[in-house]
Amino acid sequence: MWEVFRQEDEGDPMIHAGNVNAPDEELAMHYAREFYGRRGESHRLWIVAREAITELDDPDLLKPPFDRSHKKPGGYIIKHKLEAAKQRAASEAGE
Amino acid sequence: MTAAPPELDVTAREALAELLLSVADDEFVIGFWDSEWTGIAPMLEEDVATSSIAQDEIGHAKALYELLAELTDDDADRIAFGRGVADFRHAALMNHARGDWAFSVARRYLYETADAIRLTALARSGHEPLAQLAGKMRREETYHLLHADAWLRRLAEGGADGRERLTNGLVSLWPDAQEIFAPLAGEETLVREGLLPEPMRAMHADWQARVRPILDPMCGALPDATPTLDGRERRTDEFSWLHGEFTSVARSEEAAAW
Repeated sequence: MWEVFRQEDEGDPMIHAGNVNAPDEELAMHYAREFYGRRGESHRLWIVAREAITELDDPDLLKPPFDRSHKKPGGYIIKHKLEAAKQRAASEAGE
Repeated sequence: MTAAPPELDVTAREALAELLLSVADDEFVIGFWDSEWTGIAPMLEEDVATSSIAQDEIGHAKALYELLAELTDDDADRIAFGRGVADFRHAALMNHARGDWAFSVARRYLYETADAIRLTALARSGHEPLAQLAGKMRREETYHLLHADAWLRRLAEGGADGRERLTNGLVSLWPDAQEIFAPLAGEETLVREGLLPEPMRAMHADWQARVRPILDPMCGALPDATPTLDGRERRTDEFSWLHGEFTSVARSEEAAAW
């Protein structure tokens, strides 16, 4: 099994398109081209053997049980600080 | 409709029309035969690939029929679907039903290798629209050839059953494959006017030099074979059946505009 990633235009991110079943790299390339490129929709394809992918899906590593909100920008409420800063800046400019 | 290039006299135009028709019919008929694999190819991925390649070939035929229609003030759909069996000019290689998978692979390999040589020559044709079209076709045919070659090697190097079926196909199709380079009635004119940069016999020699080193060890030495005069005129019952299939929709409503 081969995982196929496609890029629509130069510079765009490679996005997972899907996968193809093929006995080897050469036919995988042909099939990826037919499945994800035959309508001219792709600028580039990456065809990766599934075994070559290192997978991480351990919930202890990815979804630890403790509160993670302090690791997200949303964990800090800055609305009031921002308003105060704006007022300060306006009054300083007015002086 | 663009008028035929003024520099071509009637003889040259007729010769060019014959050349265009021969290439177009090759692409058209092999496209239809290979489309017979849709739904029943060895695996899903291969089904999509084979069907897509068959569509590409019919697309090439369409472009060539349109070029021909401009030259002869005709209609591409009429040329494709309005002719009788005897009016087709594909090489005898395309007279055979699809057979088993190995047989179809054998034919595709023989055809794609020959077509590559022909397109390389046609890309240098003095008839500019043909040269441009051949250049575009070659970009797509490069992939077709890689695909056919990938399957040829897999069947040749895989199990005994696949190898035997493949070599049976190659051996039985070998004589009719030569006919891709069958001489054209107007060939002398085509070469003289620069419309066809190389005579068929030269392309035929190039093709043999290219495929024999691969096929001879696979099949045991293939016999001497050369194109024949009626190589694009012989027709078979198998082709008559296919003709009935691919004209059935057009015949169902003859006055319809598609």
